[in-house]
Amino acid sequence: MKSLVTIREGSAAHWAIRIVTAVLLVAILLWVPTKGSASLITTSIEAMTLMSAAMALNLVLGYTGQISIGHSAFLGIGAYTTGIMVSRWGFSPWVTFPVAFGVAFFVGVLVSFPAARIKGVYLALVTLALGLVFPQMLTWKRFSWLTGGGSGLPLSCPATSATRTCAGVAKTTTGFDIGPAQKGQLQTFKIFGHDFFGDLRRLDNKSAFWYWIALSVVVVIYLACRGVVKSRVGRSLIAIRDNETAAAVMGVNLVRTKAFVFGLSAGLCALPGCVVAIKTGGVSPEGILSLTVLGAITFLIAMVIGGAGSLWGPILGSTLYVFVTDKTGSWADDDKIPGLIRPLFGWSKISPADGIFALLLIILMFVAPRGIAGLWKQYSPLVVRVLPRPAGTGGTPEPLATVSATETTNEGEPQ
Amino acid sequence: MSLLDVDDVTVRFGGIVALDGLSFSIEEGHICGLIGPNGAGKTTMFNVVSRIYQPTSGSVRFRGKELLEVPAHGIAKLGIARTFQNLALFPTMSLLDNVMVGAHSQGKIGFGRAVFRVGAHKENVATRNFAGDLLHELGLGTWAFRPAMGLPFGTLKRLEIARALAARPSFLLMDEPASGLTHGEVDELAETIVKIRDQFDLTVLLVEHHMSMVMGISDRVVAMEFGRKIADGTPDEVQRDEAVIAAYLGSS
Repeated sequence: MKSLVTIREGSAAHWAIRIVTAVLLVAILLWVPTKGSASLITTSIEAMTLMSAAMALNLVLGYTGQISIGHSAFLGIGAYTTGIMVSRWGFSPWVTFPVAFGVAFFVGVLVSFPAARIKGVYLALVTLALGLVFPQMLTWKRFSWLTGGGSGLPLSCPATSATRTCAGVAKTTTGFDIGPAQKGQLQTFKIFGHDFFGDLRRLDNKSAFWYWIALSVVVVIYLACRGVVKSRVGRSLIAIRDNETAAAVMGVNLVRTKAFVFGLSAGLCALPGCVVAIKTGGVSPEGILSLTVLGAITFLIAMVIGGAGSLWGPILGSTLYVFVTDKTGSWADDDKIPGLIRPLFGWSKISPADGIFALLLIILMFVAPRGIAGLWKQYSPLVVRVLPRPAGTGGTPEPLATVSATETTNEGEPQ
Repeated sequence: MSLLDVDDVTVRFGGIVALDGLSFSIEEGHICGLIGPNGAGKTTMFNVVSRIYQPTSGSVRFRGKELLEVPAHGIAKLGIARTFQNLALFPTMSLLDNVMVGAHSQGKIGFGRAVFRVGAHKENVATRNFAGDLLHELGLGTWAFRPAMGLPFGTLKRLEIARALAARPSFLLMDEPASGLTHGEVDELAETIVKIRDQFDLTVLLVEHHMSMVMGISDRVVAMEFGRKIADGTPDEVQRDEAVIAAYLGSS
């Protein structure tokens, strides 16, 4: 295959491409909350929570090849950890993030033990059961002292509210407010006397603030996934996916690796749950759609169309999913459907969003069976091919112990 | 002291006795050929040593240590590596990554250090260079960044050897490395086996049907039939052994 330009990994040209891409990305991420419309911010937050969950799922499903249709439960665990801690015990929402990670990690490790013994469609069914039973469990009477039953828990109450559901809530805010609250005013967040986020928080519903929280979660999860994938552990995950027996012979402890990756994935998946809980302003089994099994299926779809087993796949897939469903969701009237596809979808009284997405999904799976990331990997070398840095010292293989002891990394740039 | 002692190993699958009180030992630095007609139990023996099967009874000792108490993922660390008869590579990974996984037992980075990148980059560079050198050593350097999927069979067989060597083993088990290779490739393989034995100070257990190769490079040959050992000795002795001739050609 011929390519237009061929560059070496780590060369000046390669770094130039990387820097330009990074600058563009940062520019877009800054543009959305400062100049974008309120609905764009809301949609972006939605996309970012979805991509967080999809990235977490990708570790287990895309890299390790363990099917899970129960990750919605882990998101739910995150949401409820935040809900319970803030609402019942008056913790700051910040504290709930690491706690949610810990709780979901523990549950994930527990789930992984049966998962280590079963494979394929059976594992899919077991995790599906988890996804189905979780929202049910929340409504069980025995747990209602903790979960608030079917009506759930509020995270914030209006100061005037005197309803019973709000009785236990100590704070009248979301707990994110910094400094003393001022009545009837949006709180400002000043750094060195400058209201740095003032412009970002011009929206009454604090959307821009949630945007930054959701983005932080995305960045944390991306960095964690990248760290794992580009290491000895990540290679062992793909080895398990490709050939379990061979992986074990190479020294991969299958049970422990699967337990850790399931736990890590579950813990990371809980983080977007915390974001959803505080953004929604409360948790309830019906209030948060993505903690039902429908959520797990959405994570799966977003991950697959983006590209399973690739770092950027879930990010691209979730963005596409959320923006397409958002756009088509507004086509409730026949007149709003673009003329080209109106004859196809104009027959329904409700928005044809699901139908359009289903069709798009089928087409995508034909055109790009390995997702958008797979398509990129296949066709981007036609334009720019990046030659990997040559591997090896050019000599005969030295014992690894000696190599790592005498290794001097003069190419210490961060990967 | 011998490197590997197989002592009275019996494996039963339901009513079938795959190995019936098999005993033999391998000396350090030897290439030991394990031969026998189809169904003699060679691969079963192989899977017992590489801890995929748990024998019904018996003991297998490696440098005096009981192997049957070691989990399957623990043998690489002891210095035992194997290749597979029908290829058990990681098809979606590049050749380089395949070999890097082979070095898994040599690495230290776990989940915690991977997430927080403590020393992960350094280990990656070291492992990557080591794997690259091994690929070049086995003449696979050109394909280092190609996925294993879709390369010719003979190339992949060599990749299996490279991946096994990445564990820095002292004992290499090879399950029918010559199967599916052309005549020229078999000769090349025989040379490779002797070469890596000398270069990496290996002891090799070779399960093979290709008689001329086994007899040509083995220091010692163990012949099996119906799960039992029928002959044990130098290639010459085994070739003249009547029980072996009977097993292969049928007794008159």
